[in-house]
Amino acid sequence: MAKLDPLIHPPARLRVVTMLSAVSEAEFATLRGVLEVSDSVLSKHVSALAEAGYVRSRKGVQAGRRTTWIGLTSAGRKALREHVAALRQLIDAVD
Amino acid sequence: MENNSTPQSPDDARAVLAQADQTRQRFANGLRLPTGLHPILAAAVAVQVGAAAYGIAAQTTAGLAVALAGVAVLMGVAALLLYQFRRINGVRVDGLSSQIVLGTGGTSTLVYMGGFGVATWAAFESRWWLVAVAAVAAGVGYEVGTLRWWHSYRHDPAAHAGGVSPRVLVALAVTACLGLVALLIGS
Repeated sequence: MAKLDPLIHPPARLRVVTMLSAVSEAEFATLRGVLEVSDSVLSKHVSALAEAGYVRSRKGVQAGRRTTWIGLTSAGRKALREHVAALRQLIDAVD
Repeated sequence: MENNSTPQSPDDARAVLAQADQTRQRFANGLRLPTGLHPILAAAVAVQVGAAAYGIAAQTTAGLAVALAGVAVLMGVAALLLYQFRRINGVRVDGLSSQIVLGTGGTSTLVYMGGFGVATWAAFESRWWLVAVAAVAAGVGYEVGTLRWWHSYRHDPAAHAGGVSPRVLVALAVTACLGLVALLIGS
């Protein structure tokens, strides 16, 4: 029985992780734009996910400006798979 | 204010999951390929196949230089296209890198190898029109494979995002060049 992961349980954080599963790395600004959140909100989510080892971040340069690239780790992908499975079990329980 | 509540009921869970999936799909659908990627990549592959066929058949230092120049053209074009993709979209997708540089799809590999084989045979027979036809066919087939991969990616981004990392791609490109040199020196 898959368990809900408390770290990616908040919908906003689940959206970050789900989005990152579609790419190898994304720029911080790209994530912020799609999620329509502020820098500080996204920073908090990314920091929490990075502390848990679910995402990795690195500094880089994009079109001459400094930026931060964020990618999902294999632990993050596994956590997402298990969390989605747990959500589906919750849904299937009543369908 | 953003809703950060946790799903307590099946309906909440369904809504949270749907919202996350929609975000990912919107994100993937918003990604754009660089302008002219398809014809440019097809042309680069055709040049590489034609140059390699000539180089292998010539079995001279000049032939080796032509074959290596063909590889350099393809690698340079691939690097430029991937850089543009990253700059336009603010993302890196290793699945796309693998597809463009290695042609990892079944169609791409099959058509490329077939075209390469025919072009090389034709070069040994000095049938240069056939070298050109086979090289163009290899380029177009390779590109069709990339196009198919792109459609699959847009349909299910999470399943197709993974691929060979940039470091491994560089290592493979260097190995391919060294292998070509060894092949031509040994022949």
